[in-house]
Amino acid sequence: MVNSNVDALGIIFPNSRDGVVPELVGERLMASIPFAGRYRMIDFILSSMVNSGIGNVSIIVRKNYHSLMDHLGSGREWDLTRKNGGLNIVPPFAEKTIKVYNGRLEALASILDFLRDQKEKYVVMSDADIAVNFDFSAMIDAHVKSGADVTMAYTKEKLPEAVLAERQESTEFYYTLTLDEGRVTGMEINAKDTDVTNYSMGIYVVERELLIKQITYAYTHGFVNFERDILMNQLDKLNVQAYCYEGYIARITGMKGYFDENMRLLEEENLDALFSPSPIYTKIRDDNPTRYITGAKVENIMAADGCVIEGEVENSVLFRGVKVAKGAKVKNCVLMQDTVVEEGANIEYIVSDKNVTITAGKEVKGTDTFPVYVAKYQKV
Amino acid sequence: MAKEMIAMLLAGGQGSRLYALTQKLAKPAVPFGGKYRIIDFPLSNCVNSGIDTVGILTQYQPLVLNEYIGNGQPWDLDRLHGGVHVLPPYQQASGSDWYKGTANAIYQNISFIERYNPQYVIILSGDQICKQDYSDFLKFHKEKGAEFSVAVMEVPWDEASRFGLMVTDDNDKITEFQEKPKNPKSNLASMGIYIFNWDILKKYLIEDEADPNSENDFGNNIIPNLLRDGRNMYAYHFNGYWKDVGTISSLWEANMEVLDPEHSGINLFDENWKIYSRNSGMTGHQIKKGAVVENSMITDGCYVAGTVKHSILFAGVKVEEGAVVEDAVVMGGTTIKAGAVVQHCIVAENVVIGENAVVGAMPSGEEKGVATVGSNVYVGDNAKIGPNAMVSNNVKGGEEQW
Repeated sequence: MVNSNVDALGIIFPNSRDGVVPELVGERLMASIPFAGRYRMIDFILSSMVNSGIGNVSIIVRKNYHSLMDHLGSGREWDLTRKNGGLNIVPPFAEKTIKVYNGRLEALASILDFLRDQKEKYVVMSDADIAVNFDFSAMIDAHVKSGADVTMAYTKEKLPEAVLAERQESTEFYYTLTLDEGRVTGMEINAKDTDVTNYSMGIYVVERELLIKQITYAYTHGFVNFERDILMNQLDKLNVQAYCYEGYIARITGMKGYFDENMRLLEEENLDALFSPSPIYTKIRDDNPTRYITGAKVENIMAADGCVIEGEVENSVLFRGVKVAKGAKVKNCVLMQDTVVEEGANIEYIVSDKNVTITAGKEVKGTDTFPVYVAKYQKV
Repeated sequence: MAKEMIAMLLAGGQGSRLYALTQKLAKPAVPFGGKYRIIDFPLSNCVNSGIDTVGILTQYQPLVLNEYIGNGQPWDLDRLHGGVHVLPPYQQASGSDWYKGTANAIYQNISFIERYNPQYVIILSGDQICKQDYSDFLKFHKEKGAEFSVAVMEVPWDEASRFGLMVTDDNDKITEFQEKPKNPKSNLASMGIYIFNWDILKKYLIEDEADPNSENDFGNNIIPNLLRDGRNMYAYHFNGYWKDVGTISSLWEANMEVLDPEHSGINLFDENWKIYSRNSGMTGHQIKKGAVVENSMITDGCYVAGTVKHSILFAGVKVEEGAVVEDAVVMGGTTIKAGAVVQHCIVAENVVIGENAVVGAMPSGEEKGVATVGSNVYVGDNAKIGPNAMVSNNVKGGEEQW
C-alpha cells in the first residue's frame, strides 16, 4: 500500500499541567486555553502531528472538556475527519462510579483495548501545555535510528521562574534529565535547577507493543505515573534516548508566563518561528476582517479577525471579536475573544478572558510582573 | 426526497469589463471585502435562507472557482442529499455544447434539477454583492400565487434606461418588460434573481431551446415569452444593499462601501446573516510600531509597518515601512515595499509593488480613474502607474504606464 504517512499514532493528554494556571482552567482545560490571537493550545501539537503525517490521534480527556469538544468538533479543520484513524476523543469511561484518571498511565490503561487494535508501529505522546511547530517525523526517525525503547524530547534552557517558585507547592510535575551521549541516565522530578538544564517537553515516542506491555505491567502493580513509575524506575533496563528540540517553544507555566508568551509573539521573528515551516490549524469562526475606524490609533499589536477598533491600542494581543470603543486606551494587554472595552476605559497589563466587558470610563491596571486576570463573562 | 426550492447560480460570466482581474479567474471568484469572493454572497444567502442545494453553472476559467468551492464545506453545503455542485458544460450522446446563454445553461442541466424534484427553482447571479433572504422572496412568490417572480430594485429614473425594467400594476403584477429602453415606463430594475415554479420553467426552457432564433437568454427570451402567454408574473421589491460589481469602478466602490456600513448598508458584521468564506488559515495580523492605520479593514496574515488609510487589505498583505496605502483595495498575498505609494486603486493577488513605486493617484478634478494591477504582476522599484492604467504584465523599475 502506498503510504505517505508516518507509521505512528498520536495521543494527547489535554489536562496535563492544568494546575499551573488555575484561573484559566476554571471552565476549560490546558488544551483549550486560547493562545496567540486565534488559536487554542492544542492546535499546535495537533497540527504538528497532522503535518508530520500522523492521521490517527486520540485525545484522552479528564475533566472540563466541553470547551475542547466544541473546539475540535469532528476534527475537520485539522483534516482528521477520516474513515481510518482520524480524531478520537476519549472521555472518562462511566462505570458504576465514574472513574477519572490520575496519571498518564491510568489514562493509557483506559485505552488499552484500542491500542491493541491499532496497526501503527509507533506511538507519539504529548501534553498540550506547549506551543511548538514540531516535526514528529524527524523525532520518530531519530528514535528508529538510535534503536531506543523510548525517546523523549527536551529543550536546553533555564527553568522558568514561575516553575521554580511553585515547585514545592505545585501538584504538577516537571522533569529534568541527566544525559550520557543522548541516553537518559537520570531523571529528576521538580528539580531546583537554576542553570541551563535539560527540560523535558512531555513528548514521547515509543513502540506501540512495548507501550502496551509496560502499561499492562505497571497498571496491575497500581502505578499511575508514566515518568516516575515506568521510565525512572527502569532507566537501566530501558534504552531511553533524549531528543533535543531547538526550535521555538512557548510553555504555559503560569499566568505571568501565559501573558509573556503571548506578548513575545509581537516580535515578528518569534511569530514567524512558531508558525513555520508548517501551518497551524484552528477552528474557523467566520468573522469579518478587523475594522479600524477613524480615530483608532494602534501600534505594535497582533489582532485576529472580527475586531472593531475605535480607540488606542498599544503592545497588545487581541483575539477574535474584541471591541475597543472610542476614547478607550489599551496598553500591554492580552484580550481574549469578544472582550469589550467601552468608551473612555483605560487598561494596562490586563489578561481578559472570553466575553469580558470593561465598562465605560473604568481604569484597571496590573503591572509588568503581575498582569491582572479578569475571568470569563465578568463585567468590570 | 423532494426539495421545496433549489438554487441555480449563474457563474459563467467572463467579467470582461474587469479585464486585468479576470484574466485567470471567473468573475464570481473575484476577491471582495477583505476575505471573501463575490460568490460567497449568493452562497451564504442560500444557506442562511435554508436552501441546501445549489448548482453552480460555470464555463469561463473555472479552475480557481472549482477549487474554491471544493465540497462546499465552508458554506455548510457538504450534504448527503443536495449540497453544492459545480456544473460545467458536458458532453452528451447527442454532442456537446458550450452554454449558449443563461437559459441554455439551465436547460442543459434539467436532469440535475429533476433529481431533487423541486417545486420552485431560484435563479441567482454570481456577480452581485447582495445580502438577501431568499425565503422571504419565496413567501411573496407563494402568496401571490405566482408562476414567475423577479426581484426588483427601485433605481433613479435618470438611470433607469440602463436596466431591464418591470412595469407593474398596483398589485405588483408585471404587465410589461422593457430591456434597456430609451423611454422607461418604470424604475423597477430587474436584479437578475428569479423564482420559477419548476414545471413552468421547464416548459419554457424546452420551448426556448426548440426556437432556433432564440438567444437562449432569460431577459431576452424566457421573460418575454412568459409575458406573451399571460403567465402570473410578479415583481418582488427588494430594498437592501445590492450592487452589480461588473466594472472596476463599481467593484472598487463596493469595497469602499464595506468600510462604511453605517451609511452604505452593506454590513458584514451581522451575526444573524454571516457571510461565509474559505479560510486563509493565517495568523492574526500585525501592526508594527510607527504604523498608521485609519478607517480600514485588515485581516489575517497581514503585516503593516507603513500607513494604511481608508483601504481594505486581504489575507497576507504586507505593507512595509514608509509605504502609503490609501483608498485602495489590496488583494491577498500582495507586498507593498518600502516607500511605495498606492492610492485609489485595485491591486490584485500576489503582486509586488517595488520600493518607491507609485500606483494610482487620489482623484483631482475630472481625474477619477481607479488604477488596476492584475494578479502576480511585478511592479519594479520607482515605477509609476497612472490612475487610468490597467496593468496585467510586469512593469520594469522606473518605467511609467498610463
